[in-house]
Amino acid sequence: MSFIPGQPVTAVVQRIEIQKLREGDNLILGFSIGGGIDQDACQNPFSEDKADKGIYVTRVSKGGPAEVAGLRIGDKIMQVNGWDMTMVTHDQARKRLTKKKEDVVRLLITRKSLEETVRQSMMQH
Amino acid sequence: MRADRAELESAKRALVQRRQDEPQAAVSGRGSWEESSSSCQPSLTALTTTSTRTPTACPTSKHIILGAAMEEYDVPSAASILASVKEQEARFERLTRALEEERRNVSLQLERGSLPSDRLVGGTTGGSNQPLAWQQMVMQEQSPSNQTSLAMMQEPQEVVEETVTIEEDPGTPTSRVSVVTSEDGTTRRTETKDNVTNMKVTKMVKTVTTRTVRQVPMGPDGLPLPEGSSPLGSYTDSIDRRYMKNGERFITPQATSTLTRSYNNYSDSYNDTPDSQFRHYGLHDGYGDMPENYGSLSRGVNYRPYRPYMPTGGYRPENSYTLPIRKEDYGHVAQPQVPMGSSTVDLNRSQPERFQPEPYGLEDDRRSLGPDDEEAYDLEPDYSTANRRTLPGRTIREPLRNGPRVRGYEDPIEAELIDERHPYIHGMYPAPLAQPERGSMASLDRMGGRRSPSIDSIRKDPRWRDPDLPEVIAMLGHPIDPVKSNAAAYLQHLCYENDKIKKDVRQLKGIPVLVSLLDHPKAEVHRKACGALRNISYGKDHDNKVAIKSCDGIPALIRLLRKTNDMEVRELITGTLWNLSSYEPLKMVIINHGLQTMTNEVIIPHSGWEHEPNEDSKPRDAEWTTVFKNTSGCLRNVSSDGAEARRRLRECEGLVDALLHALLSAVGKKDMDNKSVENCVCIMRNLSYHVHKEIPGAEKFQDPSALQDPGSAGTQRKKKDDAGCFGGKKAKEEWFNQGRKNGEHDKNYDTLDLPKRTEPTKGFELLYQPEVVRLYLSLLTESQNYNTLEAAAGALQNLSAGQWTWSNYIRATVRKEKGLPILVELLRSDSDKVVRAVAIALRNLSIDRRNKDLIGSYAMRDLVSNLPSGQQRPAKNLEEDTVVAILNTIHEIITDSSENARSLITAQAIDKLVAINRTSQSARETKAASHVLQTVWSYKDLRNGLTKDGWNKTHFQPTATGTPKGSKSCKPGYDDTTLPLMEKNQECLIFHPHCSAGNRGCSGGDMIPMDELGPDGYSTIDQRDKDSKYKSSDGSSDLQEREPLKVRAEVSENDTNRKHYIRSNRPTVSLVDACDVKPQPVDSWV
Repeated sequence: MSFIPGQPVTAVVQRIEIQKLREGDNLILGFSIGGGIDQDACQNPFSEDKADKGIYVTRVSKGGPAEVAGLRIGDKIMQVNGWDMTMVTHDQARKRLTKKKEDVVRLLITRKSLEETVRQSMMQH
Repeated sequence: MRADRAELESAKRALVQRRQDEPQAAVSGRGSWEESSSSCQPSLTALTTTSTRTPTACPTSKHIILGAAMEEYDVPSAASILASVKEQEARFERLTRALEEERRNVSLQLERGSLPSDRLVGGTTGGSNQPLAWQQMVMQEQSPSNQTSLAMMQEPQEVVEETVTIEEDPGTPTSRVSVVTSEDGTTRRTETKDNVTNMKVTKMVKTVTTRTVRQVPMGPDGLPLPEGSSPLGSYTDSIDRRYMKNGERFITPQATSTLTRSYNNYSDSYNDTPDSQFRHYGLHDGYGDMPENYGSLSRGVNYRPYRPYMPTGGYRPENSYTLPIRKEDYGHVAQPQVPMGSSTVDLNRSQPERFQPEPYGLEDDRRSLGPDDEEAYDLEPDYSTANRRTLPGRTIREPLRNGPRVRGYEDPIEAELIDERHPYIHGMYPAPLAQPERGSMASLDRMGGRRSPSIDSIRKDPRWRDPDLPEVIAMLGHPIDPVKSNAAAYLQHLCYENDKIKKDVRQLKGIPVLVSLLDHPKAEVHRKACGALRNISYGKDHDNKVAIKSCDGIPALIRLLRKTNDMEVRELITGTLWNLSSYEPLKMVIINHGLQTMTNEVIIPHSGWEHEPNEDSKPRDAEWTTVFKNTSGCLRNVSSDGAEARRRLRECEGLVDALLHALLSAVGKKDMDNKSVENCVCIMRNLSYHVHKEIPGAEKFQDPSALQDPGSAGTQRKKKDDAGCFGGKKAKEEWFNQGRKNGEHDKNYDTLDLPKRTEPTKGFELLYQPEVVRLYLSLLTESQNYNTLEAAAGALQNLSAGQWTWSNYIRATVRKEKGLPILVELLRSDSDKVVRAVAIALRNLSIDRRNKDLIGSYAMRDLVSNLPSGQQRPAKNLEEDTVVAILNTIHEIITDSSENARSLITAQAIDKLVAINRTSQSARETKAASHVLQTVWSYKDLRNGLTKDGWNKTHFQPTATGTPKGSKSCKPGYDDTTLPLMEKNQECLIFHPHCSAGNRGCSGGDMIPMDELGPDGYSTIDQRDKDSKYKSSDGSSDLQEREPLKVRAEVSENDTNRKHYIRSNRPTVSLVDACDVKPQPVDSWV
């Protein structure tokens, strides 16, 4: 999946719905993100294209809501609840994910294995 | 500083003059008067040249301006003013008519008349200048006296534009005056003034104008006058005029009453610009009133003297007091307070005077011009004409100056006056000048470094004397503000790097006065007072600091900080506070009064941090301003004042957030070698000290098993497993613990999950969030500043100490963020204290078992290479403390890890250890080495190999060196260890949990016996920590309070900080924890 800033992106995506875990006042997704257009993309260990300033999943908590929902380390988040995540700052992405009012986030993510799977089987994952 | 000094020098001079009381009104009114005078100037010119056209218009404008000015003082009724103006106007018309006639008569004689003028003007004057000169002349000739025989302007076809720009004190606007003379003879003058202080500028302009004028000496008969000849005719007239002028001009009653005629002029000048004073002065005294006859001659003369007078001009002698009161003599009583009308008139009249030969007049002008006159000429193309004139003038000046001729012209009275004034010529200026001097002083200030030699010569004038210290201090209480500010400025100058003077100021009770001036409404006054306090507060003499504190100087400074927006003042305030903060007892006072203010006024705004960040706007970067530097330095110092100080700082709203933001911004910009960053990191480091004990609710995070189950790395794991049991109050903590527990189950530390927060962390919680690890590691990677490196390593050390949940996270995070290679690399630093801080940090980090394994495998070589071999120190020649720190770190690493002990042996450490154990001069080193050796020997499986290498048991026994027996036997495994934190020169306190006050105290073997250490979960914990633990159980106070502080004092004066930059290029250490997840530049838990 190549990524050119400002250009349409074609990618095989997976929809992942994460039910936030409510612990008192805190809503927990159970993963961490990295990247963003304000970050040094070349340090992103997950991206193929080191110029990709997208938002990536960097860590997933064991047993956390994200893991349960199938999110994996290295996933690239394309959208959050319909909002584009390919051209956002790190902080914007974080805020998008952590809206207090929303108990559920729907992610559109892509990952390398998805594309391979598709390529091999021509089937939607 | 240089400029400061120069400024002070001149201020000093000004002070001398100020000694006599100046009328308050005059002083305060300076600005406005200046205005008026300047406005008059153009009108004068206009009047003279085109008398018929302008008479009314000009006065009108003057009125307006003057009126405005007058409102500030008590001004005579408008009616009287109006009356006088009218009268003047009428008179003017008369004169104008007469002048016209004169012109016609004289025009023919001009050619002849030009001869002398040539001489005067000198060869330098180009033919082209002539017209100008003439034109000017005409203007002058307009003077009220009808007898003027001067020539008229014939063909004023050139336009002359003169622009004088003087730089005020740095930061103050410059004023600009330009005079344009056009062909038709009209003169336009524009002046922009932003500042009261610019009065001098005005003066200058006038002077210049004068010079441009070329004068042809004319006898009463209309013929050019030979030098030395004195036309007497007009004299009476001029005197009369003068009187009137004087009378009218008086604005300050005091001045009138006590001063001579000349003085009156001064009073004038008070109101007007100093320039005008000077000008008038010259005019008066000299031939001011008899423009006609010698007008040209004298003028020429006057101009030349210019240079020589200059020097004297600036300085005002004490004799000033001696001027007789002349007013009475003349019998004309000043008509006080007719300033408005009178001034107009005066100006008109005085115009001619201005060009009079009177040497003084020029001198005065000169003065106002200041020493860099010559330079100005060179620089300013517009001056060209003036230059030319000046040159010839010089040649002539000598004879003229002594001016017997001058006297000749004067009537007895006049002569007397002149005599009085003579001293001026030689550099003595009577009191009346004091006021004007101020202006010149100011201009001197501006000159700063580039003083003309003439000034220096003036300084040597024996008649001139500096005010002594009591006088200066007394002047601080002078009713006139400029006196106060000059006195304060002078004090600042005197105190600069002079501890004796500082002490004297204190003993003379000068400090309370300065402090009281901080609340003065005038910026100039509180600025200078603050400057003086800054210098006084600098230095080793803490009594000065205490004196400032005793008179409530700290609240006063804070008040001013809140009040002022002047950056310079803020720099001075924060500089002073920084200085004050270097003294232990004042730290809490500063915290009590100023912590929140400094945070709100300086730290937060300059850090770029915002309480409520705008979602869309880019976060602002920190600005490394001097104010920020000073304030952070101050906070850095006060942050070392013990637990209470730390608590206050941590809980200060927005402080930690802002500091963190500033540091992140520094990292982002890769601009982290500056002092501000250093200060911020040091504050963070200090605030991180003992977080696990001091932050509210810390108990909740304590690892309960930690305290009971010391030592072995194996137990660490157990502890971690238990971690999930303690009920975190916060949901996220619970969740976090859960995640951690899961990680434990996997026996995989790398999956250790950090607590996630939905609520952004803020305040002191930020100090120990795992996110800060990346910040510190970035600093450790990028910074070239040893102090910053040390502080960043110290912060990690502090955070990784202790048994609580967060330190567990921190230790794991350092590993995950690949911090270990960074730290190990820094073991090769050239800076002793960096090596020490890093070594201690590694020790704390190795509490984490996995870290211990990694460090043992990869850092051992670098640790060992820092050890001295026997008595021969390695190239780095590390201090004892550092060596002990490294030995203790090694000890920690090999404890419970035979694998690491093996690495130690592989690293050829045994040689060195044995050598240290046997031969080191330092008991502490010996002891530490001995502990390591004993531990190594305790691994039985290693003994074989050691024996093969030729070692035997005796090598691993403690030697009987200087170590006290008791300690040897009591604490075989532990030496008093540790790491003294403070280097003598260190500027800031370092709080290393693992080292601290206890260490220093432990020179003897008075440490805690081994068995007592047993319960402590940390085998590595140093004395200090243990100490406090034990103490706290007793309820006794915290040891940490005793940390040594080396503070940076004296920020302001000279930056004494020693920056060691330069880290040699070293290959990156290949210490990589393969299992670690690669971190993003930033990642956020969600």
